[in-house]
Amino acid sequence: MIIGVLAIQGAFREHMDVLYRLHVQGRLIKKVSDLEGIDGIILPGGESTAMAKQMKENGLFEALQSKINQECPVMGTCAGLILLSKEITNQPVSTLGVMDIRVKRNAYGRQLDSFATIAPIKYISEQPLELVFIRAPYIEEVGKGVEVLCEVDGHIVVALQNNMLALAFHPELTGIDAVHAYFIEHMIKKERIDHGSISHP
Amino acid sequence: MRMMNSEIRRIQGLEKAELYHAAKELQAPLHLVQYVHEHGKLPVVNFAAGGVATPADAAMMMQLGCDGVFVGSGIFKSGDPRKRAAAIVKAVTHYNDPKILAEVSEDLGEPMVGINVYSVKEEDKMADRGY
Repeated sequence: MIIGVLAIQGAFREHMDVLYRLHVQGRLIKKVSDLEGIDGIILPGGESTAMAKQMKENGLFEALQSKINQECPVMGTCAGLILLSKEITNQPVSTLGVMDIRVKRNAYGRQLDSFATIAPIKYISEQPLELVFIRAPYIEEVGKGVEVLCEVDGHIVVALQNNMLALAFHPELTGIDAVHAYFIEHMIKKERIDHGSISHP
Repeated sequence: MRMMNSEIRRIQGLEKAELYHAAKELQAPLHLVQYVHEHGKLPVVNFAAGGVATPADAAMMMQLGCDGVFVGSGIFKSGDPRKRAAAIVKAVTHYNDPKILAEVSEDLGEPMVGINVYSVKEEDKMADRGY
């Protein structure tokens, strides 16, 4: 199994470290040919505009869109969640537009308003997990077929839609790899067994 | 950067018991020296800044292990800042891909030219100005 980590900009090295800890092969995705043969994709945190701009120039933008539309499992964290979303309310950002969520960018404010908290996440952990929000977005509204897995202070921060998992925080920074483990076990391995749509527990 | 890498490798190669002496020598907190010994890198991100003028410069700093590159005058004092900025951004992302590096390095116009220390006028030298 190979999991691709989008490596245009941002926290891709930290995601690669998590995959290494979980004994899964990771591959940095910088151009279209890197997508060949991967079983899942992680869109890391970082700066969504910088990522989208470079992806548009080398064709990775359209290639990722079609890969995700063909049900390739994808996990987007922070800026990755922004890239997945169909609509951004407060700023003009070009996104892949594949997931039925409406997102507010920099929703908690500036760098000084970054914070960590704890909360359980449905399916992923009944025990509260540490969640690190860095200039994070949150989801304002989800469409039909999107399941909300976690809310913090009344705002949606984790959502699931078929092959897409979106998180507003940075699960790669805490050293607890429950989110990645869920992504691998229940969204990638399951997909490979069923050859069909993903059914969540 | 080469010096830093070499010093980090030196710390990595020490015996655990030798770290106390190394920390004393470096006048650095012991836990930081222990961190570098264990992880082979600093506990903070390391950005390269100063003197970067071409995509090749930026890519080399990334190859040496920097986490990112800051460029100021290298872009703004060049002939075509917009084009050069875009090229350096791409060079940082694709720092290990010689084909892309060669492509983005083409036709960038005049690069920033450094100022030779001997051509700086006496009254402009910080050394004599004091503080």
